Parts: sequence; structure tokens; C-alpha cells
Amino acid sequence: MSAKRKNVRGERRWQGVGVSDGAAVGRVLRVHGGAQENVYRATLEAADVRREVRRFHAALRLSRRQLVAVKRRAEQLLGTEHAYIFDAHLLMLEDRKLIDDVEEYIRGERANAEWAVRVVADRLLAVYADIKDDYLRERGSDVEDVMRRLLVALGGEASPHRLSHDAVLVAEELLPSAVADLDFSHVRAVVSDAGGWTSHTAIIARGLGIPAVVGVRDLYRHARTGDEIAIDAATGEVVLRPSTETVERFRANASVGSQTAVAAAATVDKDARAPLLTSDGIEIVLRANVELPAEYEGVRRFGARGVGLYRSEFLFSQSGEMPSEDEQFEAYVELANVAGDDGARVRLFDLGGDKLPGGSSEIERNPALGLRAIRLCLRREDVLRTQTRAVLRAAAHGRLSLVLPMVSDVSDVRRARRIIEEERARLGSEGKEIGEIEIGEIEIGAMIEVPAAVIVADRLAREVDFFSLGTNDLVQYTLAVDRGNDEVAEWFRTLHPAVLQSISRVLSAATDAGIPAVICGEMAGTPAYAVVLAGLGARDLSMTASAIPRVRRALAGIDVAGAQDVARECLECACADEAEEIVRVRFTERWPSLFPPKTLPARKAEGYNFKRVDETAPSQS
Amino acid sequence: MPDKLIERGVVIVNRLGLHARAAAKLVRAAGAFRSVIRIERTDGGGSADAKSILSVLMLAASRGTELKITAEGADAVQAIDAVCTLIEDGFGED
Repeated sequence: MSAKRKNVRGERRWQGVGVSDGAAVGRVLRVHGGAQENVYRATLEAADVRREVRRFHAALRLSRRQLVAVKRRAEQLLGTEHAYIFDAHLLMLEDRKLIDDVEEYIRGERANAEWAVRVVADRLLAVYADIKDDYLRERGSDVEDVMRRLLVALGGEASPHRLSHDAVLVAEELLPSAVADLDFSHVRAVVSDAGGWTSHTAIIARGLGIPAVVGVRDLYRHARTGDEIAIDAATGEVVLRPSTETVERFRANASVGSQTAVAAAATVDKDARAPLLTSDGIEIVLRANVELPAEYEGVRRFGARGVGLYRSEFLFSQSGEMPSEDEQFEAYVELANVAGDDGARVRLFDLGGDKLPGGSSEIERNPALGLRAIRLCLRREDVLRTQTRAVLRAAAHGRLSLVLPMVSDVSDVRRARRIIEEERARLGSEGKEIGEIEIGEIEIGAMIEVPAAVIVADRLAREVDFFSLGTNDLVQYTLAVDRGNDEVAEWFRTLHPAVLQSISRVLSAATDAGIPAVICGEMAGTPAYAVVLAGLGARDLSMTASAIPRVRRALAGIDVAGAQDVARECLECACADEAEEIVRVRFTERWPSLFPPKTLPARKAEGYNFKRVDETAPSQS
Repeated sequence: MPDKLIERGVVIVNRLGLHARAAAKLVRAAGAFRSVIRIERTDGGGSADAKSILSVLMLAASRGTELKITAEGADAVQAIDAVCTLIEDGFGED
């Protein structure tokens, strides 16, 4: 405890997980919770009670107006299926039970409105906390969200719109309302205590191309609005009240980031649509990975050649409802329009069984190896058929193809193909009857992400139209390392020779069979790794759209012949440490201006400690 | 004309039960009628005003929960039809 006190004003460091790119230095803006902590109890004069009730009603009206606007923004940003939650929030604000209880408390106790709202909210929350059903119990968080909004409104603050230009949002977890509420043009970065790679915080931040670090345990409690804060999403570092030296260091990284993402985007229009050629004249295609409608804008802005991977599972709303055929059809038509002539590859729902309506509620002991992705699609044919029909219909309006996730056996492909053909035939005969169903042509590809698929890649290549290499899962399954588990983070090694040999083998199988192979995954979006991939023979990469400019810059500056030499050396390495060392040394020799040290894999000793570094360390030792 | 009080039994059939979106639909539907509409768990687990989302959510009615709907008022028949149909159709979810 004494150590904590001593360092109250000093620099404090955290280590989280970076889920986007870039670095930033700014001032903390705590999102939500501030109002909750500052609620006080005042006793009113009898004459003031009526005025207090009116103040409560004014706050209800203000909150309502905000929510209507939030709902509209959410519909644009996240899609209608995610905006419904604000309809429930609006109804809560209109709820007689809430209004009557608060009024009664104000009158009966002569309490201020803030206190009355807090007391009534806490009573409600206590009831929700007792609900046995996990999903229904979580609705307590909606009540909390609405109450916090009311409390802020009572304070007369239109909080989300008072962002300073260097705001770094700090939250326990960004609630959907906060995400839709904020004017993100003013937000420099986002940090949250909770959340993972697929949290809303992460997805939105990547879509908007701002730095984000999640899983920063306990930061929210320590940070105060207005504190200076520095974050680097590339390393996951977060420093509160940074020293001058630290600020300098992060600013340097921030300017690298802005050069590559934001500034590069300004010059994108002219150059980005031109084919990307390496210095020895080999063309490499860069596409976008897309999940949210919010990311669509980036596809064009960053010059992506269509969508290399569309993660369709986002169509499932947060409540896990199955999207209908028509809802999916509309989403895929929109996607096809965004992707244009280069097309979009729609990955079938890559979900576990627990996420599906009517699915088994039994907990799988090992979900990563369980009934998920293509296995689930084959088990739940209704789901596969609905999705297939929607894609086939949408393909009449643009260029779409289907990707089968987590294929491990040729029979996965054959079974899926048979069902897809059946639906095509069925749509055809329905179309004859009512004469208005159009069906488009689609190619079918296999996601190569489990070792079995790598080993039989030559046989799979004869049965599909293309390969998609999902490097995130390929690394995870090949090395048997859970990428979400901090304890084994040091074993998650993208440049492990086993991973590189797998990629090389799959690319050769595709070349031999004469089918294209696109590499999607974080690896493709990291410039140094993208060069290694080019050296292994990759000519088609798909990544978060905001990563395209810097990958483009790196690939335009290297020669594939040189990359091949480096890749060959890496393939021969005995372990990941050696391969990383090869990359560090050779890249620095060959392309020193393109690859300054911090763009290369860090040495294990400094780079792989995912624990919080030293929360109580003095600012300078 | 005296107000009618009518009642009917229904079972929650959608997978997620009376969650926020379903409850919002139900409250919006109930709000369109002048009748007083109440929802009661037949297992004695509580009852709710169908026009209050907070009290509807507190029923914590998961799939399989049996409910008794009552409506009282001039438009009670239409009201109970609308509410029961919504629940029986699983709120159009699955």
C-alpha cells in the first residue's frame, strides 16, 4: 500500500493487448461511471420538491432525445440488428414503474433526483442480480446504462459531445451506447479494462483506424479524466501520467502510425488504386477483411481490392438471433456493392454451437476443437441452407464467393458443396414458379487453418476454387496455443518454422492445382510478416483495411527475390527465435529505411512479457 | 358497457426467452391498447404490467416458462390476441 501512495503522481505502466494499430498521447476521458461515483444525498426543502420532480422530467426528456440520436447513429455504424437495444432503453425511460418510483422517492424522502434515481436503480438491479438465467440476468447492464445516462443528464452535461481534441477514452468496457454516442473524430485512442480482440471496442477502433488497447486490468480505477496518458497499440503498452521521455517515445511511434495510416490515406485516392508492384515488378493484391458496416468506408478509402474475408457471424445480433434469409440477402448485396468488381469472399458462420438458436446448451469441454464452423454448418443444415440461399441470391447483384471455415477433411467440402448445389437447384425451381428469384454464380473456397487441411492441401485443392489461409487460427492450431491466453503468449510465435512450412506447403498446393490462395489474418497486415509471406510465394493478402497503406508501402519497397532468400533461410530455422533473428538481421541489411528496429519482431526477452509490467515502478530508475 | 376481463395461457417458445428485444416488442404491442394487460408466471414467480419493460424483464421468463395473460378493458380481446400471438410466434425470432 505504501508503495502505491508514494507513486501517486509518478508514471504508471500497464501491459494490455493491442487490438489495432498506432500510438497516441492524449488526455484521459473516463467513459461512464463518473456520475455513479459522485451521486450525493441532499435533503430538500418541502417547497423545492416539485421543482426537483420537474428537473427529473427534464432529464428524462434530454436522455430520450440523446437515445433517439444514439439509436440512429448505431443503425448506421453497427447495423439495425445491433441498434434494437436502444429501443429497449427508450422504453425504460418511458417506463411508468421507473418514473413513479423515482417521483415517489423524491416526494417521500425529500431527496434530490440523482439520489432517487440511484436508489431506484439499485433496487431494480438487485432484483435482476437474482435472475438465474445468465442471458436475462445480463439485462441488468442495460438498466445500469440507462440509469447512468439519466444521472449524466441530471448533471446537465451533454458529456459525450464535450470531447477535447486529444481525448483518449478509458472505460471498464465500452458499452454499445458509448460507442454510438461518441464523436469519434475527436477520439485519439481507446483503452479498456476488459475486452478482447473481438470486443466492440476493438472492432470499432480497427474500423476507424484509431489505436486501441484492451485487457488493461484496473486502469479505469486509477485513471482520472484529464490525466495525461500514452498508449501504443502495436505493443499493448499503456502509460498513465507519462514522463517527458515516455511522451517523446510514444509521440515518435504515433507519428509513424499517422504517416502510415492517416496521412497515407490522404494520398491514397491517387495511388492506391494502381496495382501494387514490388521493386522487381511482381504484382501483389491487397484486400480488406471486413466485419462491421463501419468498416466499409475503409475498403475504398484505403484502396482495397475488394473484400478478401467477410466475417459473416457479425450478422448474428448480440442476442444471438439467427438472421433471416432476407436480412442476410440485404447485407450481402450491400457487401457486394462495397467490394465492387474485385468481389467479396463470404465466410460461412464461423461460430460455436452455443451461439446458435436451438443449439445445444451443453458446455463443450474444448470448444476450439468442438462443434464449430463448417462442422456446425453441416450439423445444422437449416443454418447452412439459409445462408447459402442468401449468398446465391445476392451473387446475382455482385461478385461473391463462399468460404468454408475450419475444413479438416475433403468430405467437409463435398458435403457442403452438395447442400449448396441443392439450394441452387431449389432456388432455380422456385424462381420458375414465381419468376422473380435471380441466382448468381459463386466460387467455393476452403479456409485452411487446421494442420490436417495443410497436410492434405493438395487433395483439397482439387475440390475447391480457391484457398483462404487463416493465419490466426493456423498458428493457434499448429502450435496448440490459445492466442487469448496470456499464460502461453510466449509460445504464440507467428514465425515458428512449423507455421512457415505450413504456409509454404499450402501455397505450393494451390499453385500446383492452379487455384488462387489469399492469406487473411493479422500476419498479412503486419509489414514485416507480409514481406515474409511474399517470400514464401503469397501474392494475395487480405487484412484490416487501415493496415493496407503501410503494408503497401513495405511491399512496394522490397524485391520478391530478396524476400524469397530471407523466407528460405527462415524455413530452415530450428525454432521461432532463430527465424525472428533472421528477419531482424536480413531486413535491416536489405531494407534499412523500410524497417527501422521497432517495426521488426521484438527480441523475446523484451517483447513477450504479457503481464502487467510494473504497476508501481518509479518513473525513472 | 362493463369492461371485460379475459385471460389466456401461453408458453415462451423462443430460445432467449423474454430478453430485451422481445420485451421491447411486447411492451410496444401492449402499449397500443387501452386495456390493462398483466402477465403472470403460472409458477407463482411474479407478475408484471405488460406496458412496463422493467417489470416484464423482471419476470425472467426463459424458454418454456408458462404465463397467464390477463386483459381488462374495452379492447381486451384484441389486446390479448396481439400479445399472445407475439409470444406464441417466438417474437419472430426462431
